[in-house]
Amino acid sequence: MLEPLFGVLALFPSADALLKAIPQVKERGFTRLEAYTPYPVHGIDEALDLPKSKLGILVFILASLGAICAFLFEWWTSTVSYPLLTAGKAYNGWQAWVPVMLEGTILVGTFTAALGMLFVFNRLPFFGNPMLRSKAVDEITRDKFALVIRPGDGGLDTSAAIAALRAAGGQAIEVVPAPHYRRAGLAWWAKVTAGIGAACLVAGYGTAWAIRTFPTTKPMVEMENQPRLDAQAPDTFFASGRGMQLPPVGTVPRAFMPVLATNPDQGGKALVDPLPVTARVLERGRQQFDIHCAVCHDKLGTGKPWLDSTYEAQPTDLQSSTIRDASDGYLYWVISKGFASMPAYAADISPNDRWAIIRYVRALERSQDAPARDVK
Amino acid sequence: MFEATELPLPPAPASKRRRRRRGSDESFPESLRVEPLVQGDASLGKLDDHVRNLSEAKPPRSWYVALAITSLVGLIGVTAVGYMVYEGIGTMGNNVPVVWGFLIINFVFWVGIGHAGTLISVILYLFRQRWRNAISRTAEAVTVFAFVCAMMFPAVHVGRPWLPHWLFAYPNERRLWVNFRSPLIWDVCAVVTYFSVSVLFWYLGLIPDFASLRSRVKSKVKRAVFGFMSLGWVGNARQWLHYEKAYLLLAGLTTTLALSVHSIVSMDFASSMVPGWHMTIFPPYFVVGAAFSGFAGVVLVFAFVRTAMKLENYITMRHMDLLNRTVLFLSCVMTYAYLMEGFTAWFSSDSFNRYIFANYVFGDQWWAGSLTIFFNCVLPQLLWFPKFRRSVPVMVLVSAGVTLGMWLERYTIIVLSLHRDYLPSSWGTYLPTPIDFAILLGSVGIFLTLLLLFLRKMPIIATWEVKADIVHYQTHPSGPMEAEHA
Ligand code: HEC
Repeated sequence: MLEPLFGVLALFPSADALLKAIPQVKERGFTRLEAYTPYPVHGIDEALDLPKSKLGILVFILASLGAICAFLFEWWTSTVSYPLLTAGKAYNGWQAWVPVMLEGTILVGTFTAALGMLFVFNRLPFFGNPMLRSKAVDEITRDKFALVIRPGDGGLDTSAAIAALRAAGGQAIEVVPAPHYRRAGLAWWAKVTAGIGAACLVAGYGTAWAIRTFPTTKPMVEMENQPRLDAQAPDTFFASGRGMQLPPVGTVPRAFMPVLATNPDQGGKALVDPLPVTARVLERGRQQFDIHCAVCHDKLGTGKPWLDSTYEAQPTDLQSSTIRDASDGYLYWVISKGFASMPAYAADISPNDRWAIIRYVRALERSQDAPARDVK
Repeated sequence: MFEATELPLPPAPASKRRRRRRGSDESFPESLRVEPLVQGDASLGKLDDHVRNLSEAKPPRSWYVALAITSLVGLIGVTAVGYMVYEGIGTMGNNVPVVWGFLIINFVFWVGIGHAGTLISVILYLFRQRWRNAISRTAEAVTVFAFVCAMMFPAVHVGRPWLPHWLFAYPNERRLWVNFRSPLIWDVCAVVTYFSVSVLFWYLGLIPDFASLRSRVKSKVKRAVFGFMSLGWVGNARQWLHYEKAYLLLAGLTTTLALSVHSIVSMDFASSMVPGWHMTIFPPYFVVGAAFSGFAGVVLVFAFVRTAMKLENYITMRHMDLLNRTVLFLSCVMTYAYLMEGFTAWFSSDSFNRYIFANYVFGDQWWAGSLTIFFNCVLPQLLWFPKFRRSVPVMVLVSAGVTLGMWLERYTIIVLSLHRDYLPSSWGTYLPTPIDFAILLGSVGIFLTLLLLFLRKMPIIATWEVKADIVHYQTHPSGPMEAEHA
């Protein structure tokens, strides 16, 4: 029985000698030829009738896909998943996505070119290559050029092959046997999987153990413990002994015009509601009323506090006729300055919000005592 | 065998016409001949042995001493970074208004140096420049190591260096995405892409060389490692066919990348409103600057490596000459860019823009701008003289000057622009601290350590490319069709 054969190999001293030998060997009827060279020899692909590499097509397709994916990803994150307004630019301003698309194209393109060449077209890694076990391999990667006659469909007449190579000037002729492969069995895969699993387990538990054993030091300690003054903290730097300074006398914070009237009646005459009549104002009023007033005056303004009996004051019923008859300016004065046990809100609620609250109070009053024409 | 000195000289030319066709060697005029790029008694086997020997033989004591020094310096840098992370950003000099200090200067500096490898091995490959073959491998190594250093800086500079993954767009529990409208995120993508592609390109070129080492190194461990790294490469003609195609495709794609990366880095500056940064000239100007510093870095490396590792026959004075010419050319382009920048500032009639450029050279830190111009524009003019282009001391002087000059250029751009912006009330000064210097020094140490390891552990010449050259010069000794690739 014939030993399984990879081919018959001969070495040539130069690329030119190899190129000359190829047609000679071909003439003798050997068609399955392979050449091995230490550097890419040009002209050898024509001599061996090697088809042109199709790598370019693969790279083109995948690189284009890379560009499209980068575009879609940027579009999706910037407009759908997390629309973020920066510098007033449109969410879908594609111009800004070009650089990352370019990088995506190149990244995918280059990796396709390299890995596609290695794994797809050249079928590497291939450590079982019978050539690696030949005597000639050391010479090929150094300075010799090899021609190998591979067996065709009908096998190979070894002696004829040897003769042909010798006639073409080949030296160190060698019969390269095919290696005896064993396909990786289930057991091998099981072993590999188990090995990887074990390594993961060890790494995971190791890390967990290390973290528990060596408590992490906090980095950048100075960033957390930097000297600073909290809002209400005392401080010796200023004569007042306060950290936070009072505003200078006579200054007015923006949008907080002080109420100059000294009593509610005077205020009732002087203060006029400046807001337009819109649903938004009412909506705002409801929101602010629910935040600031409802806790004492109840959602409907009935003056039944939600607080328990330890709160002893008796808030006014805002539905009462006194309040109904009081002018808006009167209410504004009460909210701003406070009234007996009713606290002042000038510091907490902006003037416009105060007016909005009053609007809402009026709406509440009307809702509890609506004329028939309001209800349809 | 092939002896450069004993080349058979062709007879005097019949016509003065320059012939560039293969086979016309005999009639090639002597005055137009170029020195071959491979000299001395070269053969495929000898080259192979030389390169293998470098990665196999026990390195000389000087190598160990150098390695000890550089790794110590690198360690100082790492310690400084550690201290900074523990203690806080305040240990460095950057503060309002100069919020980008040494870290960003160093980042741009190293990214610049990292352009050498790609430009040499990729763009010169596309232009079929044979002289790139012998130097491409080490130039690529310079690229990869420079990028290792470069990437360290933004990672530290983000403020919370233990969260560098926040730079990337990945699905996270905060349900946030990065802002793709920001040049900073383009920068992240560009630098990461460039680094991974450089490593890939480098490795791809190494595969055939690993294969040739696999067969011949004596140590069993090395043989196993090289064997694994070569992926079982045997140099089948069909493999070479795909291999060369992949190489070409990578070269084409990486050219785009090399030109885009520093453009994008420059947009970190150009898209802001800082006077002195907000300029359309920035992208091309940064790319040229990167190439300039990269070539200077490569000259510096080869000036030492060529003699120290006895590579004179493969990396000849002609290689150095060509590299130096490139440095000179790029220096002229840089000078033009500086002039154009100044012109733009003047032409803008914007008093702040004009002021900032005057401030570069006449201001409180006039030395930064002035030295930049001296090192980058004036000093390289020495290279107009052929004698200086082939003199090792001069080229070391010039390229060291350029390296320093390019660092100072980034200092000028970053510090001098930031410390005088549109609001005079927020003008300030910048004072680097010892930590800043330690980190800069450390990056140099890390770079040199990696380079030293590479020089004695890996095939430092792309033998499969130079082998083709050797054959080429043996068959066509006068080298008229230099540019033709194999
Ligand atoms: C801490 C509980 C509390 C909150 C909160 C509160 N009030 Fe009062 N309010 C009172 C009490 C108590 C009185 C009765 C004062 C009195 O007559 O002693 C009162 C009285 C009033 C009066 C009648 C004043 C008068 O002339 O009799 C008006 C109007 C009023 N509140 C409006 C409001 C509005 C509007 C808000 C929301 C901004 C609000 N209050 C928030 C406790 C509160």
